[in-house]
Amino acid sequence: MATYFGRLMAVLGGIVVLSAGATESLPLDAPLPDSVPPGTVLRVGSSTDLSLKLAGVADNLPFKLEVANITGGPGTINAFHAKALDIGTSQDIPAINAAWIGIDAKIVAIRLRQNEASTLYRFGIAPKAHIDSLADLRGKRIAYSPGQAQGALVLRTLAKYGIQKGEVDLVELPSTGRAYTDALAANLVDAAPIAGINVKRYEENYGKDGARILQVAGIKDDPSILWVRAETLKDPAKAAAIKAYVRAWARAQYWIDTHRDQWIDAYYVQDQGVSLEDARYILNSQGSADIPLTWNDAIAHEQQTIDFMARETGHKSFDAATLFDRRFETVAGAAYAQTP
Amino acid sequence: MTEDPPQTAVKAGPSAPTHRRLSLKRGRAYGWVLGPVLLLAFWSLGASLGWIDSRILPAPWVAVTTGVRLIAEGRLLPNALVSAQRAGTGLCCGILAGLGLALYSGLTRTGGYLIDGLVQIKRSIPIFALMPFFMLWFGIGETMKATVIAVAVFYPVYIHTHNALRSIDLRYVELAETLRLSYAQFLRHIVLPGALPGFLLGLRFAIVGAWLSVIVVEQTNATRGIGYMVNLAINYAQTDVMLVGLVLYAALGVASDCSVRLLQGRLLSWQRTLAG
Repeated sequence: MATYFGRLMAVLGGIVVLSAGATESLPLDAPLPDSVPPGTVLRVGSSTDLSLKLAGVADNLPFKLEVANITGGPGTINAFHAKALDIGTSQDIPAINAAWIGIDAKIVAIRLRQNEASTLYRFGIAPKAHIDSLADLRGKRIAYSPGQAQGALVLRTLAKYGIQKGEVDLVELPSTGRAYTDALAANLVDAAPIAGINVKRYEENYGKDGARILQVAGIKDDPSILWVRAETLKDPAKAAAIKAYVRAWARAQYWIDTHRDQWIDAYYVQDQGVSLEDARYILNSQGSADIPLTWNDAIAHEQQTIDFMARETGHKSFDAATLFDRRFETVAGAAYAQTP
Repeated sequence: MTEDPPQTAVKAGPSAPTHRRLSLKRGRAYGWVLGPVLLLAFWSLGASLGWIDSRILPAPWVAVTTGVRLIAEGRLLPNALVSAQRAGTGLCCGILAGLGLALYSGLTRTGGYLIDGLVQIKRSIPIFALMPFFMLWFGIGETMKATVIAVAVFYPVYIHTHNALRSIDLRYVELAETLRLSYAQFLRHIVLPGALPGFLLGLRFAIVGAWLSVIVVEQTNATRGIGYMVNLAINYAQTDVMLVGLVLYAALGVASDCSVRLLQGRLLSWQRTLAG
């Protein structure tokens, strides 16, 4: 028994030593390596790799790209927990929320929109809510999702109109699929932030019953990001591959912006089965990409967001710079700008 | 196996003037369609007269026209095939595991002590709650999907088979002992016919369970399948496509249930029951 136990421990010890020595760890402040060792696989959360293919950058990737159809905050955080995803795609709020729930992850690319005059989200107003302006939100039931961009928008809107959180009824409801438009249509909530095709469909379907859409002015709600767990960035092979992916992603963004009709047809109409009219609406609401070459503004904006969200949700504020891996600062921006 | 209860029942009634049947009348071949047909008629009528708000529930013919369009666009069938493959893989694994463990746990004391308690505990954990853990253990690929479906299939197969095994009438076991049947003969003549009705009932639950869990797993990292198609439709607010998905699920569920019932009819032709 003693020898058996001894052997078992020896074997286990050997495994620990081997696995520790298997990959050398790359410090998070070391320069990014450029060469991607053969056999490197990158699993990216994205709804499609079609833009990479159409932009002609899919074939030249120095790693094997596996696209997992997981995007948005809740799905990405879940997949990060499961270590099932190398790169996540979502808006900025989930990254802040992830920091609060103990996931160490870094932003490696950020995409803003060129036309910032209108927010991505609008407030859908339920048919029977009798809300004519956002100042009327006081005393109403508002759909609220704490860890998502939609939740942050609700809090910011309330703050903008000087409404205390206690003065409204925040109905906790994650914004997935049609949850918000359905809740609005059934008058289960009085107001809810909705975006994209949901805005159009909701107005079409329920406008005649009294439903309406209210714009939120002056609130920036659009940063979308690529982000990576810090642990993944410590793997030199993955880090180099991520750099290559960010570059390809930015080129694909440029391709979409310069080939909008082609993109609408190939992706929305052919691949996703959306009508041409709806597809145009969706792409218009997303606007053209603004991929900044420096992150100073973005970090300042995230700091504001963090401070605001910390105050509103009772979390501890932290330094926004820790959310960003600045080694990637110029990678996406340069690739976007340089594309011929 | 049957004793003729109707006649004893009649005799028991002291003042029964006429010979009254307590068993059901002979059933019609497709009697079960009555309910669904009535519902469909109500739905059609409601939709055409405008009682049913098309934003809440589109008319039944919308499912047909959209379905035809999706088939023509080559979206429906490939997706259905992928889902069927997923359901099939999970179903096979789940049935094998459920049947195997039910036999072990039903026919031996050790097996019962080892397995049955675990199964009962796990049974009360909903599959939705397990999904995040399954992602941790099995990743986000096809292995995870097959495992989720297999687990959903396992329980009904296990529970009904095990239940049938353990409720085999002791008289038959004693009969087998009296006739000095070998263990193999005992399995063949007593256990198999005794457990078969339970297994087939479990199978009916299992097949529907397989389809239900396909919907669940196709919410996570799927780029093909009916669940994915419906998910896309939800994202793009296409109520008509969602309805097609719904009808398709119902059709697939009914079709697979019918095939198990057909199998039941064949394999259990010796049974004489109230259903007739």
